[in-house]
Amino acid sequence: MMRYEVSNMSEIKIVNATGLACPQPVVLARQAVETNEKVKVIVDNDAALENVQRLGAKLGCEVASETKAGGSIFEITLTRKAGAPFPTQDVPVSCEASAPAAGPFVIVCAEDKMGRGNDELGSVLMRAFLHTISQQKEKPDVMIFYNMGVKLTLQEAETLEDLKELAAAGVEILVCGTCLNYFEVKDKLGVGVVSNMYDIAGIMSKAGRLLTP
Amino acid sequence: MSEQKTYDVMLFKSVSYALKAEKILKAEKLPHKLIPVPKQISSDCGICLRFEHQHRLTIENTLFNKVKFEEIRQILPSAL
Repeated sequence: MMRYEVSNMSEIKIVNATGLACPQPVVLARQAVETNEKVKVIVDNDAALENVQRLGAKLGCEVASETKAGGSIFEITLTRKAGAPFPTQDVPVSCEASAPAAGPFVIVCAEDKMGRGNDELGSVLMRAFLHTISQQKEKPDVMIFYNMGVKLTLQEAETLEDLKELAAAGVEILVCGTCLNYFEVKDKLGVGVVSNMYDIAGIMSKAGRLLTP
Repeated sequence: MSEQKTYDVMLFKSVSYALKAEKILKAEKLPHKLIPVPKQISSDCGICLRFEHQHRLTIENTLFNKVKFEEIRQILPSAL
């Protein structure tokens, strides 16, 4: 076992797949594994890392990964197991695997209710929604409140506690100033910053994901 | 949930019971929160009332004979 490893040490095929778009890293890695016992693939994103790891496992290789340069570079070493059959079928490649969205994750609350039809129920659902968002791991980058939605951010709001928790977790909370003014509740704002249409429209325009409950 | 508090949840058969209970607790100024039923607890009704364990008796007594509830379960902070 040891001798096998050592004798092959000098024959590691290096595949530098940094800067390449999906599915190039996987294609190159596969080609390299076909003709080499041991291949080291260098990639620079999570999606490529996952795809190359999956390829290695699918091809019956031993897969070892290392993170370099503070998490921006990944080196995956694929070692063909002796006698492992080489599968001929294609390995599915997911190019979006966990690639971050292009823009911020934005939640827009345009109403103080969730859904239409019954106000009492809608209010309960909105409270349940905000509570769930405040407890889930993947939090939005920005939350925008306008029209009746601003009522959720007021001092007496039952949703205040959850929104404060979100704000404390780093979620940017923007509240429409025009709306606070219209409802004459600017002095009752309990969380977030008073915002304007430039910021609101701007953030909504460049959102990677925009969610409206 | 920065402080380590122990919470209980009160489960109901329907949303309307939960809302009725909430109205009573609000009127009595008893601290509580309407939250979605934690994932690991199954219930027909998707919402429940959460309160600190120390208020359990007071809340139970307040709602006694006014609102029917299914049960009260203790929940772990991680389950919120």
